[in-house]
Amino acid sequence: MPSYRVGIIRFPGTNCDIDTWEALTLVPDLAPVWVSHRENNDPDLSALILPGGFSYGDYLRTGSIAAQSPVMNLVTDYARRGKPVLGICNGFQILSEAGLLPGVLLTNNSRTFLCQEEGLVVDRTDTPFTGLFAPGSRIALPIAHQEGRFFLDPDQLQEIERSGQVLVRYSKNPNGSVHDIAGVTNSAGNVAGLMPHPERRTRAGLSAPYGFPFFQSLALWLSKHLSDKENPTH
Amino acid sequence: MTDQPISRFKIPAHEMERIRTLLGREPNITEEAVFSALWSEHCSYKSSRVHLRNFSSKGPRVLMGPGENAGVVRVTEKTGIAFKMESHNHPSYIEPFQGAATGVGGILRDIFAMGARPVALTNSLVFGSLRQPRQLTLFRRVVAGISAYGNSIGVPTIGGEVWFDERYSKNILVNAFALGLVAEDGIMSAIPPKKNLVAVYVGNKTGRDGVSGAAMASRSFSGEDSDLRPQVQVADPFVGKKVMEATLLIIREKLSAAIQDMGAAGLTSSSVEMASKAGMGIEIDVARVPLRDFTMEPWEILLSESQERMLLLVEERHVDKILAIADEHQVAAGIIGNTIPEPVFRVRKGPEHYAEIPVAYLTDEAPLYERPTEERGSFRSSGSNAPSLAGSHSITELFHLLLEHPNGASTEWISRQFDFEVGTRTILPPGHDVAVVDLKEDDHAVAIAMAGTSHPLSKDPEKGAMLLVAKCVSDLAAIGAYPVGLTDCLNFGNPERPATMSDFVLAVNGIAKACKRLQIPVVSGNVSFYNETDGLSIPPTPILATCGVLADKRTLVPGRTDLSGLTLALVGSSRDLALGGSYLDWILALPESSEPVPDVDWNTLERLQPFMSALAFDRRLVATRSVGRGGLLRSLLQIVSGSDSLGVALSFPDLENPLQTFFSESPGRIVLAYFPEHEPIIERMALEFGIPWLRIGTTAHSSWTIRYKDRDHRTKVLSDQLSLLKRRFATSLSNQMEEFS
Repeated sequence: MPSYRVGIIRFPGTNCDIDTWEALTLVPDLAPVWVSHRENNDPDLSALILPGGFSYGDYLRTGSIAAQSPVMNLVTDYARRGKPVLGICNGFQILSEAGLLPGVLLTNNSRTFLCQEEGLVVDRTDTPFTGLFAPGSRIALPIAHQEGRFFLDPDQLQEIERSGQVLVRYSKNPNGSVHDIAGVTNSAGNVAGLMPHPERRTRAGLSAPYGFPFFQSLALWLSKHLSDKENPTH
Repeated sequence: MTDQPISRFKIPAHEMERIRTLLGREPNITEEAVFSALWSEHCSYKSSRVHLRNFSSKGPRVLMGPGENAGVVRVTEKTGIAFKMESHNHPSYIEPFQGAATGVGGILRDIFAMGARPVALTNSLVFGSLRQPRQLTLFRRVVAGISAYGNSIGVPTIGGEVWFDERYSKNILVNAFALGLVAEDGIMSAIPPKKNLVAVYVGNKTGRDGVSGAAMASRSFSGEDSDLRPQVQVADPFVGKKVMEATLLIIREKLSAAIQDMGAAGLTSSSVEMASKAGMGIEIDVARVPLRDFTMEPWEILLSESQERMLLLVEERHVDKILAIADEHQVAAGIIGNTIPEPVFRVRKGPEHYAEIPVAYLTDEAPLYERPTEERGSFRSSGSNAPSLAGSHSITELFHLLLEHPNGASTEWISRQFDFEVGTRTILPPGHDVAVVDLKEDDHAVAIAMAGTSHPLSKDPEKGAMLLVAKCVSDLAAIGAYPVGLTDCLNFGNPERPATMSDFVLAVNGIAKACKRLQIPVVSGNVSFYNETDGLSIPPTPILATCGVLADKRTLVPGRTDLSGLTLALVGSSRDLALGGSYLDWILALPESSEPVPDVDWNTLERLQPFMSALAFDRRLVATRSVGRGGLLRSLLQIVSGSDSLGVALSFPDLENPLQTFFSESPGRIVLAYFPEHEPIIERMALEFGIPWLRIGTTAHSSWTIRYKDRDHRTKVLSDQLSLLKRRFATSLSNQMEEFS
């Protein structure tokens, strides 16, 4: 079996990098690789993950400074070429700021940070990260954010609903996101953003490891598409 | 002597006199500033040092004890835990958000200065009544400040305690605890070798914030202290994270000989203390300190408490590498001085000399007081026949009373604002009495139990303090963990008052005695005096954190269940269930009640931990909880909190004193929930270990009934609406916070 190299991008202030690394090492076919925020050259990876944290201290606006980093040229290039790109929490915020995903993430309705487990429904299952779920699967993952209220104006919201870009929804809306949206994809489906943290639920413990299939899905997707990497499916 | 100027830094007149005598001259302003910082209570522990010698920091597992940035205790063959607790009470009262955030930042720097990667934070928060709008704001902002720092730097805040009490409304307590992991051969020290070393500054640039913070924390507040704001430091967790990563890398590469955080009294205390420990002097050139504000005077630079700064003493040959690491991490750094053979603290600004003080005058010769004590009268008179505390209240009414107050509520409103999972080591999340951290090494885990109720100490400082230690140990035992070390933060009023000093001495004795009895080393700690405003001191409030080891994390027993039909039993000593100092005692507002503080049954307590470990190891238990705040009923409500519809059906034999059975907080009692088929074995093991055991009922769907016989053998049945109890518990803090937001 080949090992697919998955880049984990570290910005100053990223703090879920090691958790994401550990999650990837649990999947036999995936090999995590660090990618610096300064990276200019293409290290020829199979996929990219932007982990959670507080890039640049969340100063100015969450994700806004990181979205201007040199490495974002690489991210944009991968996104355009159909390679899988996943942003988790702050990574989602950065991808939104970079215009690679629809919508913006505003301050929670509670105006406070919220760290709690949320019930979720997986809406879209033909993406590189959700292939192992059945449509409508009910799972639970933790959220941990202060700016996680997904917002999009009604027209665009209708548009992403119509094109099936909603990845996961909250069962019980914790932060005021429109249409209970917890994760979205771009129109091609290869770029995904998740406010919940799958990397925090990959091992046996008091909570079920519902996060693990997101990473297993990626391995499966890569094994199906690797030979076809210059001609993405979508 | 008529025109002898009074100290510009509020040094008391008699200490000024001593400074003149030592120096044989008048100190200049820079020197006076240096003395004011190092002779402050905060830095010198001048009122407490004599008494802290009571603590034993010895033990086979202790790798580093007092005198370092934090204590270190071995938990596996190669790994140690570094941990410490510190107060940030005074700054948090003035500016709650920054005060709390810098409290977290400061304690984290103490941990990573040891070479340990911080993996857990907890806190203890004591405020005035939330009925006062000012307290609501203070509390909300303190929680937000802790959240902002901990979440951003990526260290999970996994537990804590909170208490609201009118007597703290002018002196809130914000105590932060941090724990880090360090390889035994990677421990850094704040004690440098005796040789010529270069002083390297790494971190945030120095500004005017927090100038004289240590001096502020070393006196009481008065009504005219609204001008103290510039003395509060400003947190920058983003820089904090970069400094942490740079420091850990420098230590990993073995480039530094000693490291100390520039905390209280900043550059002055870190440089003088490290030089003193090496038996050397040190020369600092303030012109080379990275500054944010170039108009700062030398004394301001020396006293600034700007955050996120570390002072390293290093060998010349490593300097370039260190500067390169700082540059790579985008933090300021520079050579600002060096150690010198003459044992003096010398401050220069370029070629000009600003201070020259023998190091010993600042450390060994600093004042040391054995302040007068005078025991408060009332608490020793333990009435033998306690009058009925409850008056005309029924047991049901009393239970509701406990749950309606924020002190009896779920703390979820607080914990959900903290990222308690980043790092994916959190095995037991907030909502349990103990926080458990995965070591990710050989299935071992570390447990943290905190205790800080002041009420028993208000009644009896010594016995009350012993209860706190016993409570930590019971909490650890409940999950099958054994204690390996303790840290404390001793929050007291004005030590110049004999009654306060007496409380302090008794409390220290109580902690020391209990720790010696249980062989728990006290490896680090902090004293916060002068929690007094306009002459009114807080009650004696030591906050303890005890760390324990869980040999196999897979055997961990959680503190809640969602299963109906489990048997509930109570194990441990019921020898003394006196209600003095309990939450019930407090809420009934009978501080002068003669109800005594219970005595701990140490022998049974010592056997409890191996007994619980054996049960956990055999996987006999579904959930356990040590009987804590509010007593048995509240602990039961928490143990069935795994499901909204799960309650209990209890049945007791004759109860001599139902109030004590239901509301005593006497430590050393644990509630067990298990499948009925394990009962014969559990009962037999209880007998073998000499642990009293009593079956008290079952977990039951949609039920809250308690059946017992009173002393006249009449059957009593108490039932309650389960959903109402659960709602009260869930909302009596959150409603208060959200109603006024």
